[in-house]
Amino acid sequence: MQPPAPDNVYLPKIAILDRTEDEIADVRTFYWHFDDPAVQTVFKRFRPGQFAQVSVFGVGEFPASLPPSPTEPNLFLTVRKVGSVTAALHQLKLGARFGVRGPYGNGFPMQNYFGQNLVIVAGGIGLIPLRSCIVYALHNHERFRKILLFYGARTPGDLMYLNELPAWQEAPNFECYLTVDRPDQAWSHHVGVAGSLFKKPGVTVPVENTMAFVCGPPIMFRFVIRDLKAMGFEDRNIISTLERYMKCGVGKCGHCCIGLAYVCTDGPVFTYEQIKRLGEDI
Amino acid sequence: MRARVLAKADLLALVDCLCQDYEVIAPFAGRGRDSFFEPVTDQNRSAIRLHLPNPSYPPKRYVFPHIERMLRIHLDDLPHIEPLYDAPKRALFGIRSCDTAGIDHLDRFYLGRDYRDVYYAQLREHLFLVNVVCTDPDLDIDDDCFCMCADTGPAARDHFDLQLMDLGEELLAVAGTPAGEAYFSQPLFKKATPAHVNRRREILAEIRKRFKLATSWYAGTSRLITLKKVSNEIWEQIGNRCLECGGCSYLCPTCTCFTVTERPAGPGDYERVRIWDACALGGFTRMAGGFNPRRAAHDRRNRRFFHKLAHYFIQRDLSVTCVGCGRCIGVCHGAIGMPAVVEILRQASVGSEIHATTGA
Repeated sequence: MQPPAPDNVYLPKIAILDRTEDEIADVRTFYWHFDDPAVQTVFKRFRPGQFAQVSVFGVGEFPASLPPSPTEPNLFLTVRKVGSVTAALHQLKLGARFGVRGPYGNGFPMQNYFGQNLVIVAGGIGLIPLRSCIVYALHNHERFRKILLFYGARTPGDLMYLNELPAWQEAPNFECYLTVDRPDQAWSHHVGVAGSLFKKPGVTVPVENTMAFVCGPPIMFRFVIRDLKAMGFEDRNIISTLERYMKCGVGKCGHCCIGLAYVCTDGPVFTYEQIKRLGEDI
Repeated sequence: MRARVLAKADLLALVDCLCQDYEVIAPFAGRGRDSFFEPVTDQNRSAIRLHLPNPSYPPKRYVFPHIERMLRIHLDDLPHIEPLYDAPKRALFGIRSCDTAGIDHLDRFYLGRDYRDVYYAQLREHLFLVNVVCTDPDLDIDDDCFCMCADTGPAARDHFDLQLMDLGEELLAVAGTPAGEAYFSQPLFKKATPAHVNRRREILAEIRKRFKLATSWYAGTSRLITLKKVSNEIWEQIGNRCLECGGCSYLCPTCTCFTVTERPAGPGDYERVRIWDACALGGFTRMAGGFNPRRAAHDRRNRRFFHKLAHYFIQRDLSVTCVGCGRCIGVCHGAIGMPAVVEILRQASVGSEIHATTGA
């Protein structure tokens, strides 16, 4: 008799590509389901802010944020074509089989923030990991006070998930402010860096009893942190998610270490207070 | 103590016993002070030695192979994958106390924490360790050995199945596990007397005096690093001596990092393999698209010392992640093996303390 198959955390589960949707240049959303319904059920218990290891067979594996909220029916990834494996993922045809394992990481402790305001600041594709907590918060909008999204990108063509904004704005306590660095002729919203939205006339950013979520390119991150601190945010009330090229996702390969932390198992979500104590620049 | 003695002449008889149950791996002498672990065969069996320099290529590869196949990927009509497990029953004969402590560290790292590493677990489960105590001052130890500073040797206290120690005419055998003790039923083992145990104590007292390197100052170094008392200039000074060859990590019995890649394995088939990796290498933290978050060369070059000596990791790993084998000293072209780094940090702190007391 065959011995039972050992529990192998490195084994990708077979996923089947159902459909894709182009977001912005080089960024596409991939909807999938697991071949095994039991795997689908277990995977669906993920938390906002967790990530998965995605395999394109014969090419390799990469870590990817999970943009869906566990409150949504579908599983999907939003991936920028940036290296060999992500490029191969973009080549996959509908119905193709690829690999997903996870979910991994700590995720955002959303329940801890019930009763608070959420200030969500995203730059460019930094909205991908934050989409999960936006949709989660909106689904549970009566449990939060105000939910404010400040979203900036280089050009109007670099803003993602815009087609979802009308649905998001149905929540009565949701406000959304958009900005770009370089507007086009059709652009009617704000122009400037993400932090400049905080001072825009008519915008009131709550500070007391508020959690600030920040995700975006390093330069944007640095300036937004400075602006939040100037408004009176404490380090422990600013939270972000970090990224590294994890080879394992389970705290063994060592590639994602920043100072004292393994981003994969200790993170990827850290408060700014924790980030400052890592002992190495992010 | 579950101890027995056997005649030195019966050493190969013991190896033969092990060969009935395991594929036996033993160290063999090469040219000069070179040595290497190899499977024991009928041809090389008579070349097995109790005393010889510890091989540079560490025995950790029998639980954490240099290149390890993880999965086979079949890309035919319906792509599917199968995990690859290759965990033969092996006995590692002649593993030194430092390397035994290294495997104990790997056990805690790969089997503990949030996730269990199944590839490591299977190899480890099937591995039988025969530790040989270093007692020959010329052959077993050299100027680079500092197991006494790392508290791992010259005689391992645990984490072996059987331990052998040369008492002159006889070998003292100590069982560390029931699997090791089972061999005591073989007729070649005789009862040990208090005289044997005394002789063991005398030999260890004598061999301890032969270790020359006594500079390791882990507790102090760990405090300096943990309290961030090491200046960037000192880290840069250490980092500038690193040639980024990765040799220290490859030879280190406690370094655990690996990278994962896929390679063709026949028509339509690929293998996913993991390969030893080293944090000193430039591409270690590089992400897709080319961005490398660990930009400064000295950051990545010193990463290894930070990980091994910062108090947080000592708490997490339950020991300083260095077993005092001395391999990094031998391999490093920049003369920044672990004891040298500890000494640089110690001297720098002496300088800074003087600086502080003069009020400058």
